[in-house]
Amino acid sequence: MAANQSLLSSGLGMVGRNKRYIGWFYLLNLTLAEFGVSALRNQLHGILDHSLYSDRMLHGFDAGVYIEMVTRPEYGSSMGTTRPMVYFGLLFFVMTALFLPGVLQGYASTYRLPREDFFRACGRNLWRFIRLMIVAGIVMGAVTGGLFGVRAALLKKAAESTNELLPFSVSMASLVVIFLVMAALRIWFDLAQTDVVLSDQRAVRKSIAAAFRHTWRNLGRLLASYVVTTIVAAIALVVGLWVWMKLVPPASLIGAFLVSQLTLLVLLIPRFWQRGVVVTYYLQNMVQPIAVQPFTPVPLVSDPAPAPAIPSVPPETQAS
Amino acid sequence: MKIRWMILFLPVVSVIALSLAVMQHALPADSPHVAAPTAKSAAAAPASNSAGALAIPDTTLAINSDKPMSERVVHYQIDARYDVAKHIVDATEVLTYHNLTGQALDHFPFHLYQNAFQQKATWVNEAKLMGSRDTNYEKWDDKDYGSEDIKSLEVVGQGDLTSQLHYIAPDDGNKDDKTVTDLRLAKPIAPGEYVQFKIAFQTLFPETQARSGWKRDFVLGGQWFPKVGVWWHGAWNCHQYHNTTEFFADFGVYDVKLTLPQFEVVGASGVKVSEVNNPDSTKTLTYHGDDIHDFAWTASPRYKVKEDGVYQGQMGPVQMRILMQPAHWSQAERHEKILRESLDHFERWYGPYPYKTITLVDPEPDSAAGGMEYPTFITGDANWFAPEGEHIFPEVVVEHEFGHQYWYGMVATNEFEDAWMDEGINSYTEVKVMDSVFSPGTSILDLAGATAGEREEQRLSYIGEADLDPLAKNAYDYYNSNSYGGITYGKTASVLLTLESIIGEDTMQKAMHVYFMKYRFTHPTKEDFLKTIEEVSGRDLRWYFNQAVYGTPVMDYKVLRIDSLPLKWYEEPKKGAEKDDKNTVYRSYVWLQRKEDFVMPVDVEIKFDNGEKIREHWDGVSRWTRLGPYEKKAKVESAEIDPDHKIQIDRNDFNNSYTVEANDKPTVKVSNYWLFVSQWLSQALAWWAV
Repeated sequence: MAANQSLLSSGLGMVGRNKRYIGWFYLLNLTLAEFGVSALRNQLHGILDHSLYSDRMLHGFDAGVYIEMVTRPEYGSSMGTTRPMVYFGLLFFVMTALFLPGVLQGYASTYRLPREDFFRACGRNLWRFIRLMIVAGIVMGAVTGGLFGVRAALLKKAAESTNELLPFSVSMASLVVIFLVMAALRIWFDLAQTDVVLSDQRAVRKSIAAAFRHTWRNLGRLLASYVVTTIVAAIALVVGLWVWMKLVPPASLIGAFLVSQLTLLVLLIPRFWQRGVVVTYYLQNMVQPIAVQPFTPVPLVSDPAPAPAIPSVPPETQAS
Repeated sequence: MKIRWMILFLPVVSVIALSLAVMQHALPADSPHVAAPTAKSAAAAPASNSAGALAIPDTTLAINSDKPMSERVVHYQIDARYDVAKHIVDATEVLTYHNLTGQALDHFPFHLYQNAFQQKATWVNEAKLMGSRDTNYEKWDDKDYGSEDIKSLEVVGQGDLTSQLHYIAPDDGNKDDKTVTDLRLAKPIAPGEYVQFKIAFQTLFPETQARSGWKRDFVLGGQWFPKVGVWWHGAWNCHQYHNTTEFFADFGVYDVKLTLPQFEVVGASGVKVSEVNNPDSTKTLTYHGDDIHDFAWTASPRYKVKEDGVYQGQMGPVQMRILMQPAHWSQAERHEKILRESLDHFERWYGPYPYKTITLVDPEPDSAAGGMEYPTFITGDANWFAPEGEHIFPEVVVEHEFGHQYWYGMVATNEFEDAWMDEGINSYTEVKVMDSVFSPGTSILDLAGATAGEREEQRLSYIGEADLDPLAKNAYDYYNSNSYGGITYGKTASVLLTLESIIGEDTMQKAMHVYFMKYRFTHPTKEDFLKTIEEVSGRDLRWYFNQAVYGTPVMDYKVLRIDSLPLKWYEEPKKGAEKDDKNTVYRSYVWLQRKEDFVMPVDVEIKFDNGEKIREHWDGVSRWTRLGPYEKKAKVESAEIDPDHKIQIDRNDFNNSYTVEANDKPTVKVSNYWLFVSQWLSQALAWWAV
C-alpha cells in the first residue's frame, strides 16, 4: 500500500509540477470541440434566435421543444451536425497521441523541459507511437471483442431468467470485469510508451516486451493506482454534473459554461495522473543503469608547461 | 497467491461466477406440466344453459347497478384449461346470441384472433411491410406461432355444423388468413330469437405479441376464444385481425372457468366468483362479467398482489386489484395512486365507472404485453428503474389504459374502422388527466432540470406524420404503423385540444360528458361524436371537422416579417439626437403567412418596445396578411401568433413568433450542452485509445 501511495503521490507530484500540459490539452480540447460544434450552432441560430418559443429551452429545458427543433427540416440531418464533432474529436485523439511523448519526457525531467526538447520528443517518437498504437489496437480489440462476446452471451442467457434484475446485475458485473482487463492492457501499453520515449527505444517490440514483464510482475500495484484515478474521474464527473444541474440557474449561461468547463478540466487530471504513475514506475523500476567508466586520475606534471593562449571554458561545459 | 495471479484469474472467475449465477436463475426447461384435455373431452364439458329456454342473463353481480346497463347481445360461458408448458388452452365455449338486428340471420362470422400469428397471415404480412410496435419479423421463430382452432361447433337445434365453417378474408382477400371464419346455418335465426353455439376450441399462444401470449412463465390471455362479429349498420362487421387494428364486439355477460396450476396467481376481467383446488394440483377459478364485451386473464407464479385499495365511486365501491412483478413491488403505491386519480377524474368529468372491480396488471418485463386494455382489466408497463420525476412508466401508461374503460370499454366504438375514437379520444383525456394530476409542462417528465408535457408529446407524435392520412380512415388502411400511431393518437389529441380553443374548455368537457353518458354501452360512429360536440357547443364546426377529421390539411402559420419605419423617414435626424429618439413616431406593420392548407382564425399579439401590447385577429383565409399600420412612438418588438398557446396542430411553433432583436441565449445554452458532450467524448476516446 505504501508503494501504491508512493506511485500515486509521486505521479500526482509530476502532474502538479507540469500543470501547463493539462492547461494546453484542455485548451486544445476546447478549441477543437468549438470547431466541431460550430456547424450545429449555426443551425440553431437560424431556428431559435428570433423565436419566442425557444425561451422554453432557456428558462428550464423543455425536452418537447428540443425534440421539435431537431425534427425541423432547417435543422438538417443529425449526421450533418454531429459529423464535425466526430471529426474534431478524432483530431483531438490524434493530437494527444502526437504530443504525448513530450509530456512523458517532461514528466521524467527534473527541470522544466524546454519547448524545443518537448517537440523534439514528439517528433522523434511519432512513428514509434503509431506502431505502438497499432499493436495496442489489435491486442485491445481482440481482448475486448472476446470479452464483449462473452458478455453478450451471458446477457442473452440472463434475459431468460425470471429475475428481472439479473440482466442488469450481469451487465454491470461484466462491465467491471471488462474495465479491469482494459485498465491492465492500458497499463501495459502506457508503460511501453513511457519506455519508448524515456529509453529512446527504436525497437518498439522491446518496449512492449519489457512493459509486459513489468505489468505482469507489478499488476496489483499498478492496477490499484489506475482504479483509484479512474474512481477520482468518475467522482469528478458526477460532482460536476450535480453542481451544474442543481446549483446553476437554468438561464445562467456563464455559470453553466464555467461549471461544465471546470468539470472537463478536472476530468483531464486523472489521465495525466496515470501517466505520472507510469513514469514514476519507470524511473523507479525500469530505467537502465548507465555503465560508468572507472575514473583514472591523471598524475600532475611537476613542472607545468606555460598555459596555452586559449579562452577559458565556462564551468558548465567543464562539468559536462 | 501473488496478487497478479489473483488479478489474472479475476476475469476468468468472474465469467464463471456470472455464468453460474445466470444458469441458477434461468428458467427451468421443464415448467410444471398440466395434462391437456383432449378436444373430445373438452367438448364434452357441460354447457350451463339448456337449449330449451335460451336467454341472456340479466345478472348484475359485477356492476354497481341493480339492472343491466347495456343491451346484452351475447352470453359467453367458457370452461378453459391452460397447459403452462405448452402454452395451450383447451376449452369449451357456449355462446348464446340474441338476434336484435331486426332481420333473420343465416350466417355468423367469428373472429379467431390468435390465427394472426402465422407466417402467411395478414397480420404478419402487414408487420413485415408497414412496421410494427412489437416485431418486424426479421426472422421467423417458432415461438412466434399462434393458433386458434375450432375443433367442433354445434348449433343447438341444428346439430354439428363444424363442416360448414370456412375462412373468409373480407378486407384483403388473403386466402391464407384464418382470423375470421364464417358459419352458414341450416336454418336462419329470426329477429328477436336466440341461438346457442357450443364450440370446442384449442388456442396456442405465441410468445407475447400484440399484448397477448406467454413470456417465460407468464401468460396474458387476450383475444383467445372464438368471438362472434357485430351486426352493425345492417351488416356483419367482422374484420380480419390487422397489424394496426384492435377489436370490436357486442356487450353481454361472461362466465368463465379457468383451470390452471395451483401455483399460479391469476387476474381476470370481471369478478371472481369461486376458486376450487382440484386433486391434480390444479385449481379452477370462476369469473363473471356483466355488460362487458371481452374477457382477458393473466397468470404468473410470481405476481405480488395488492388488493386492499377500494375507490368509492359514484355508483358504489370499486376494488382495485393490482398484480405487480416482484422487482416492481415498491411501485405498487404509484400504480394505485394514478389508478385512483384516473378513476376520480373520469368520474368527475365524464361519468360514473359502474364496475365493481378494476384489475391492473404489471406484466412480465420485456414482454409485448404492456399497455393494453380489456374490460375491467388493464396492463401497465413498469420498469425496475423508475425515478419519481419520470411519469411515462407507469403513470401515463396506467392512466391511458384506464381511460380505455370509458373509450372502448363502455363507449365501444369500432376499433377496426375508427381507431381515433378510442385511442385518440383516450389520448386527449390522457392529456387532460395527466396535466391535472401533475402540471401541464411536467406531466410526463420533470427530472434533472428537463421537463416535458403530455400535450407537447401528443403534438410531436402528430407533426412528424401529419401529411399522409386523415383521422377518418380504417385503422388497417394507414400508410404505415407510424402514420397510424401519429394520427390516431397524436393528431386526435391535438385536434381536440385545439377544439377547446374554439368552443372553450368548459364546453368541451361538457360535450365529452354528454357524449359518454349518451353513448355508453353502445357502438357510436364518428358522426355521433362530432354532432354531440356541435349540439353541446351550439356551433357549426363543420369547417373545422372537415379539415381536421376528414381531411389531411396541415397547419403552419408564420410571422413573416416586421417593419417599423420612422413616419418622417425623409427628415434628417437632428444633430445630437439619439439614434432611438423617444419622440420619433414609427409606422409599423406585421406580416403573417399561412404556409399550409389548414385555414383557421388565429389571435396575434404584437408587443412594442415601450411595453405596450395589442391583440389582433386574423381569419387566415388568405395566404398572407399585413397587420397595421401602427403609428406609435415605439417600434414593434415582437409578434406572436396564438399567444395563449391553445393551438396544438400547428406544425411549426418556432415560426409562430418573431422578435426583431435576435436573442442568442437559447442557442448558446443548447450548443454548450453539445460542446460538453463533444469534449467529454473526445477525452474519453483519448483516455482509452492513446
